[in-house]
Amino acid sequence: MDLDTAPMTDAVNLRDELEAVGIEEILSQLDRELIGLKPVKTRIREIASLLLIERIRKRMGLTSDAPTLHMSFTGNPGTGKTTVALRIASILHRLGFVRRGQVVSVTRDELVGQYIGHTAPKTKEILKKAMGGVLFIDEAYYLHRPDNERDYGQEAIEILLQVMETQREDLVVILAGYGDRMDKFFASNPGFRSRIAHHIDFPDYSDDELLDIAELMLRDMNYGFTPDARAEFVRYIALRKKQPLFSNARSIRNALDRLRLRQANRLVADLDHVLTVDDIRSIEASDVLASRVFRKAGKSAEAS
Amino acid sequence: MRVTQGCFSFLPDLTDEQISRQVQYCLEQGWAVNIEFTDDPHPRNNFWEMWGLPMFDLRDAAGVMMELNECRKVYGNSYIRLSAFDSSHGWESVRLSFIVNRPKDEPGFRLERHEMAGRNIRYTTSSYATDRPEGRRYG
Amino acid sequence: MPPNELMTTTIPTSRRTPPEESNMNMHSMTVRGKDRYKSGVLEYKKMGYWEPDYQPKDTDIIALFRVTPQDGVDPVEASAAVAGESSTATWTVVWTDRLTAAEKYRAKCFRVDPVPNSPGQYFAYIAYDLDLFESGSIANLSASIIGNVFGFKPLKALRLEDMRLPVAYVKTFQGPATGIVVERERMDKFGRPLLGATVKPKLGLSGRNYGRVVYEALKGGLDFTKDDENINSQPFMHWRERFLYCMEAVNKAQAASGEIKGTYLNVTAGTMEDMYERAEFAKELGSVIIMIDLVIGYTAIQSMAKWARRNDMILHLHRAGHSTYTRQRSHGVSFRVIAKWMRLAGVDHIHAGTVVGKLEGDPATTRGYYDICREDYNPARLEHGVFFDQHWASLNKLMPVASGGIHAGQMHQLLDHLGEDVILQFGGGTIGHPMGIQAGATANRVALEAMILARNEGRDYLREGPEILAKAAETCTPLKSALEVWKDVTFNYESTDMPDYVPTPSVAM
Repeated sequence: MDLDTAPMTDAVNLRDELEAVGIEEILSQLDRELIGLKPVKTRIREIASLLLIERIRKRMGLTSDAPTLHMSFTGNPGTGKTTVALRIASILHRLGFVRRGQVVSVTRDELVGQYIGHTAPKTKEILKKAMGGVLFIDEAYYLHRPDNERDYGQEAIEILLQVMETQREDLVVILAGYGDRMDKFFASNPGFRSRIAHHIDFPDYSDDELLDIAELMLRDMNYGFTPDARAEFVRYIALRKKQPLFSNARSIRNALDRLRLRQANRLVADLDHVLTVDDIRSIEASDVLASRVFRKAGKSAEAS
Repeated sequence: MRVTQGCFSFLPDLTDEQISRQVQYCLEQGWAVNIEFTDDPHPRNNFWEMWGLPMFDLRDAAGVMMELNECRKVYGNSYIRLSAFDSSHGWESVRLSFIVNRPKDEPGFRLERHEMAGRNIRYTTSSYATDRPEGRRYG
Repeated sequence: MPPNELMTTTIPTSRRTPPEESNMNMHSMTVRGKDRYKSGVLEYKKMGYWEPDYQPKDTDIIALFRVTPQDGVDPVEASAAVAGESSTATWTVVWTDRLTAAEKYRAKCFRVDPVPNSPGQYFAYIAYDLDLFESGSIANLSASIIGNVFGFKPLKALRLEDMRLPVAYVKTFQGPATGIVVERERMDKFGRPLLGATVKPKLGLSGRNYGRVVYEALKGGLDFTKDDENINSQPFMHWRERFLYCMEAVNKAQAASGEIKGTYLNVTAGTMEDMYERAEFAKELGSVIIMIDLVIGYTAIQSMAKWARRNDMILHLHRAGHSTYTRQRSHGVSFRVIAKWMRLAGVDHIHAGTVVGKLEGDPATTRGYYDICREDYNPARLEHGVFFDQHWASLNKLMPVASGGIHAGQMHQLLDHLGEDVILQFGGGTIGHPMGIQAGATANRVALEAMILARNEGRDYLREGPEILAKAAETCTPLKSALEVWKDVTFNYESTDMPDYVPTPSVAM
């Protein structure tokens, strides 16, 4: 439904309104698809409610300005920021705050050029593609290089700031990255801070949540842990978290990819065995235990 | 006079909102929109200057409008048109083109006649604007 | 399945005939061996012109005839006779057949269906081997298919309804000299139908007066003006007079508007030499377009199409005379076949009906003609009278022209029925405007641009059409008075040619 064409009104049935825009569907999809992230989900419900009321206020003629909707998502890698951005874009679209609802996801490289005169066209190119939807800038702090005053990132920042201010009805910008670095970034770029309406912090997953995530991912791929493998994977999670470069759900996905590789190797090693569906589906304890995480606990990096 | 090239020249000049709706139509057809400008509106001047490249993969007209406004800042007293390109087989050409900006005064065209043998006449159309060098044609 | 229901299968290869017809299509009766060539008279269906098991090859030309046998004549025999008489047969057995690969050259009728709701009429599907035809020759194609057989005594009437032209044959033709895409590029006009008008009165204007009408109409906002089909070179206006004054008008209007303009200079004449002379003069004068009439004949049309391709000229065809054989449903050649032939022959414009105007044209049938002109692939659509899948092998698109009794007040209907790639010709609707020709032209152009603007904005322009026009008329007095003058003009008569198959509600459309 288009906000501009919705009729002026003086009474609104909230239930009808909710059903008409269908955001409940997106919120429950978010609940279903994303494990944990309680505080994030609560924040998104709050924002959705706020926007729903804002939409009604607009129709009642109580407000006319396009609200500021730019957001910052802070948290460690693999905590669901990109997925949540996609859902937010759908919510904004259904409520009529963005016209198309696409998400254009970029990092510094896609915005900042290599030589003079290169940056503005690059940034604008991305902005044009994101118009009508959401521009998601991951690790946004890389735009700002305090050590280099002539860094072209500054040019991108200025263009972004201007569009975030003057074209609020055309696009929503989400800046994402590690919490501490984002704090520093905002401190040295107050222009961004003041244009961000909603800050959402994405906590790390607990060990239990990571296990749930692993099982959900395996189920989606038609695999499953044997009980032993499951127990070993609980240990794996605890060990892996203590190692450097841990990135939550992303590390779990990578680990599962390696498990599948090892399982396939194990199956192929025994050519005389007649395989059952169960054999093909099962990840066994040995597949998990072969991980280097167990051997070099505390020493190795992500690769294993 | 009023140059009536393009799809909507017989209507009152389009507002930005109207332009934006036409652009959105083009984007929804999967066409890439290009901004072109000129100070030589001769009817056979096909190649107006390009303001950047045709804009591919846009979802919303706001991106085109942003560029159009930039272009107007620089060439506000020239002709500016939007052209939409369709890359699909069997077309591979412009599918919609319309003027979105005009100079304040449009001096029109001179028609020169060269009398030839057999009552035949060679006609040459030239824009009064092009009497002056490029860049200085519209004030 | 009752015969009047829409069949969604592709006909030529389908063996799924309706049950009550299956006995009609079941057996081959061909006499084989030495009995086949015994002197005497053999029924056509026994000579090998009736082969119900025949599967048409991809390279076969398939013709669909509507056969009305004389009372008492077996429809299968009548259809086999059509196949025979349009290919190798003569009335008696000839031994010289045996010097040839006769079985290959025999046209084969492979299916006969009763026409829905038309007792006594039958659709006969006949396949012709590609080797029966000279490449790139409509004259040869038509001489074979319609050359002899239409006067055949055992038939009351015969109509060529449709043809499937194999890609192998399509590729031997030049196709439209310019085509829709290049015409638009040359004319610098995109995104809307083009506008034209035929100069009126048809006869009697001097060259100077004639050019006046052209100038006014073009300056007022039309893209093209047009000579009428019978404007050639008469005592009141010699062709050179017309060409010279018209080009003065075109150039003047071009300078006045900054737009490319054109006028279809009719080069139709008594001989090819005269036509070439006129075409050369039109080129010398800088015209972008010339015109010919269908009555000059298929070979002359193909010659002019080649000339047009060589000389960067758009070639307009007026379908003068076609109604003598296209209009009646039981006898003649359907216009959809003519449209196919003309796309092969290589003209750029063809009059194809208006639906809402003064001349014959049922909406569904007309839609079929337009698809044949403009699409690269026509799927069989019985509800539009299109019986075969037709690939055009990237032959240029042919611009249909809608002309005759249309006016600005119908703009929404015209756009809805005919689409964007069409030339709308408002002759009376321009020249008959109470404020003058320029005003008439402006009214049409404003109405058109307003309608395209509204359509692109996503409005329900067909329903809101009158409102959109009224709004545009607020800033355009000529449109206002056009809407006032012609507000009640419609031409609602029963069509004489409509599709035989109507969609039933059970078919998803």
